[in-house]
Amino acid sequence: MIEVAGLGKRFRSLTAVRDLEFVVGDGEIFGILGPNGAGKTTTVRMLAGLIAPSAGRARINGHELGIDSQRIRAVTGILTESPGLHDKLTARQNLGYYGRLYGLRGRELQAAVERYLGVVGITDAADRRVGGFSKGMRQKVAIARALLHEPDVLYLDEPTSALDPSAAKSIRDFVATLRDAGRSIIVCTHNLDEAERLCDRIGIMRGTLLALDTPARLRRGNGNATVRVDLVGARRPESFMDLMASLPFVTAARPLDGTLRVEVRDPRGDNPELVRALVEAGARITGVSEEAATLEQVYLDLVGEAGERDARRVAA
Amino acid sequence: MRPGLIGAVLGKEMRDLLSNRLLLGAVAFPALIFAAIPTGIVAFIEVNDLDPNQLGQIADYLRMFPDLPPKLAAQGFIVLNFMAYFLLIPAMVPMAIATQSVIGEKQARSLEPQLATPVEVSELIIGKAIASALPAIIATWLVFVLYGLVNGAIADPRLTNLVFSDTWLLAMLTLVPLICLLSVLLGILVSSRVNDARTAQQLGSFIVIPIIAIAIAGFFSGQPTFSLQQVIMGDLVVAVLIGLALVAGNWIFEREQILTRLG
Repeated sequence: MIEVAGLGKRFRSLTAVRDLEFVVGDGEIFGILGPNGAGKTTTVRMLAGLIAPSAGRARINGHELGIDSQRIRAVTGILTESPGLHDKLTARQNLGYYGRLYGLRGRELQAAVERYLGVVGITDAADRRVGGFSKGMRQKVAIARALLHEPDVLYLDEPTSALDPSAAKSIRDFVATLRDAGRSIIVCTHNLDEAERLCDRIGIMRGTLLALDTPARLRRGNGNATVRVDLVGARRPESFMDLMASLPFVTAARPLDGTLRVEVRDPRGDNPELVRALVEAGARITGVSEEAATLEQVYLDLVGEAGERDARRVAA
Repeated sequence: MRPGLIGAVLGKEMRDLLSNRLLLGAVAFPALIFAAIPTGIVAFIEVNDLDPNQLGQIADYLRMFPDLPPKLAAQGFIVLNFMAYFLLIPAMVPMAIATQSVIGEKQARSLEPQLATPVEVSELIIGKAIASALPAIIATWLVFVLYGLVNGAIADPRLTNLVFSDTWLLAMLTLVPLICLLSVLLGILVSSRVNDARTAQQLGSFIVIPIIAIAIAGFFSGQPTFSLQQVIMGDLVVAVLIGLALVAGNWIFEREQILTRLG
């Protein structure tokens, strides 16, 4: 479990991360989304015990950050943004080296190396120098390295970048099995589709967390759902606007391209009432569907607003 | 301090080094050249039976070897006079290896994954320092032994005794490892400021200037080699320089600083 309270990091006059608050439970995949320079890598480096926070505290599997950093590193696996492999060594030698740094020895080390060479599918290339590997193969070796010591907590920075679609899927499936094994996993990514598929909850970050929720709730944005009502017949959607304003469960409505877009809080409960009211008012409805914002829209809105705020703060 | 982890770092560094033939050549070649030149002169004098009185300025120095016949005294002077250059190997080679290692890691961005393991920074640095210093120490000691034995075999066993004197045995056992350590530290410090190994090595090569200056000064002052007191003084001076390098580079032992400066 990862518990973060008020965590922040300053580099001289630059505040890279501030006021982070979140908990990642056992068996949960937590995604961090954010633009370049949003503080994702700094956050992971702090949580991995690589750099000291300037403010706040965090507990990783019960170990206090800044006090038990060595223990934190022992229970943590990290896939860094760049694979950072030793090019002159083979894949097997790379893994063997890191296994020893994590305290594995003898048969235990050998078994772990063989297992994870197999898991990422590079057993056949295990005795080739990684300097000659493709980007995807290097990424696989780096993933194997992060898992070698069976860490309880895993940080994955862009885990499927440079991988082809089938390799990316196999890595995603494998990460999902790690969640099922009860590990706490943080995934930093720019890939919104991947975040949505893989993560149980997502934090959108720009210096601090701008939003944190499940992908479905994030897509809802302000908590309302937009219901699209397709109409036919002589009456234009604009003619129902007074009716919409009178319905207590409707928070907003607008006509668009011959349809009505109606915002309601609880589409499952409110839609039957909405349809009944429209039909009673003479509407001929051909379809009702819930329109969710894409995660991309939500992300761009949040990050854009935060960017404007930052710019105003700098200008002031 | 966990020897197992230092051993893991050392093993990885040695593997890396052994796969770099150019760097291995850079270790072996200067050592052999420094030994081969005086040995060649000794052999030349031996074969050509030169009259040492014809050796001009060197003839003045032969009085420093009153127990040796003139020809052997000339050979002894040559053998001892070149020995200061043995100190260039521990000055140059570890720095070349350390800068190559650190800048290689910097370019491959491989320091962060290592720092993310339970290894302590001091264990990582010690493993790297030993790996950078060991080839130079072994090369210097091997060439030193060969130098003494080969010159003794070419000319006279008394040359072997001159080489294996108390002064030079002390220098080999203390001054050589200390210079290696200083060289490694300077290599790491320089590597934090530049991004390519050649620039780092060029900046670091200034370390050899004092050694060459001492060797040349010794020649012109009529002293063919160091005295025991000078070796002890040299140990102290290098130890102080190591202390200063550690003060200047105290960040070397901080994970965050290494990540920021070298990562």
